[in-house]
Amino acid sequence: MTGPVARSTAAIAGLLRQFFTAERIAAADGLLQRRDPRAVLLSTVGLAVAVMISRSLAVVGLFGGLTLLVAWRSKVPLDRLAARSGVVPLVSALIVLPQVVLVPGEPLASLWGLTVTDAGVGYLLVFTARVAVGVTLLSLLVLTTPFAAIVAAMRSLGLPVALVWVLAITYRYLFLFFDELQRLVVARNSRTTGESTLRSGWRDLRGIAGTFLLRTLDRGERVGRGMRARGGGRPPSPYDRSGSLAAADYALLSLAGLALLGSGVVRWGP
Amino acid sequence: MGPVIDARGLTHAYPDGTRAVDDVDLTIEAGEAVAVVGANGSGKSTLQLALGGLVEPTAGTVEYFGETTDAEAVRDRLGVLLQEPDDYLFNTTVREDIQYGPAQLGLPEAVADRRTDTLAETLGLSALLDRPPFRLSGGEKQRAAVASVLSFDPEVLLVDEPLGAVDAHYRAVILDLIADFEGTTVVFTPTLDYVPEIADRVVCIGREGSIVADGPTREILTDRSLLEHHGLRPPRTVQLFDGLVDPAEIPLTVPAARQFLSAHDRLPPSAER
Repeated sequence: MTGPVARSTAAIAGLLRQFFTAERIAAADGLLQRRDPRAVLLSTVGLAVAVMISRSLAVVGLFGGLTLLVAWRSKVPLDRLAARSGVVPLVSALIVLPQVVLVPGEPLASLWGLTVTDAGVGYLLVFTARVAVGVTLLSLLVLTTPFAAIVAAMRSLGLPVALVWVLAITYRYLFLFFDELQRLVVARNSRTTGESTLRSGWRDLRGIAGTFLLRTLDRGERVGRGMRARGGGRPPSPYDRSGSLAAADYALLSLAGLALLGSGVVRWGP
Repeated sequence: MGPVIDARGLTHAYPDGTRAVDDVDLTIEAGEAVAVVGANGSGKSTLQLALGGLVEPTAGTVEYFGETTDAEAVRDRLGVLLQEPDDYLFNTTVREDIQYGPAQLGLPEAVADRRTDTLAETLGLSALLDRPPFRLSGGEKQRAAVASVLSFDPEVLLVDEPLGAVDAHYRAVILDLIADFEGTTVVFTPTLDYVPEIADRVVCIGREGSIVADGPTREILTDRSLLEHHGLRPPRTVQLFDGLVDPAEIPLTVPAARQFLSAHDRLPPSAER
């Protein structure tokens, strides 16, 4: 099997494999895995906010080091963490790249008539580093905590029911739609013989995309019926199964709180 | 006890004009065990959705419990299990899916836990309770869907092809659960082999979406020409004994066939169990 359609199958399979690996990491006996999901959720979000409000490369670097330390203690393979977290900072860097010439400052170099300033480069570095650390923290949360536990923690913390519900359903059906797409692609591949040209591959892909859209709409309608068949008026699971937090959970929360406070003081303090 | 479902002139046509359900008059009495059988494309699933109040009929009405034509008003009394488990399981874990029904009813957590544990053990789901439903195999999803509708503890079960991709062991378990269900059951299926185990009455749907026969299980399932005319095959035992014994004596299930053969000295002693 060759061509873009066949390659897309491999891409989908790779994505699913990556997800299943994440579930294995979440089941490991690591620092974050041992903590209550509410504490992990609040502390990682708190640390991410602390990073986001920071304007100092040194502070962001400190948070980056702390994140890597926590990842290591949580038995998260660093290459996998980098693979999950690498794309967003790169895209962010590209988006803010013009700032290296737009932000006024001391000239560092001239390229094609444009002057690169020290302040512009500093802005690019801090911005990209902040995004990288923030995304890595959130990846750490997703890798070390089963999604069902994150949803339960959000519910337990009193987040709006509609938000949690939409998030849970989206996540659930994202994989259902992946399965649907993969079935379509596998069905196509199973009845395609010989070499597929780029042209024929794209033609098939267009057809598959149309069918996928129709099947997705149909699926949405049927899921709606499934929910109505079972009532559907209340939140997905109102049983709150959260226990009390342990001392280590409070320690983690305190650490995140202090980090947030410290970052705020560095940013806005005297 | 009166009818739990009373459909009059029930019709459902799809936007392309296909009449999947055509002028169906069907009354289901409380406590009945009914099988609605029909070939592929005969409109069984659409009839199930229309009876369950999940699609709007193009014409006709369905009255529930002699009280109302609004299915939503009696949703907590109707257990509608859809054909495709992926449409039915939408929570983040199997446990949450099974407990969705009890939660909707506002039952205490302890009751929901008890029901979940019992059903999970019966259906071999105990080790899967904390897994996301989409990580399950086809048969496991089907079992989880069956557990999800039974945890609701409805008065009326409307189940569409409940065996799906389930293996032989759990087929027997699910059939036992349906047969032992204390309320009213209506099972929609194109497979007749297991119908005698779960239904006293059979409603046969023709290819045009209308009822072509309605009667006691034996009467319908031994009418080979009726079934074959409408794209169905009688149960295997009926195929085997048809024309060999009096229709009133045809065994409808394999255990009944063994008993019949044993009673007529047609089984070697070593085969009798």
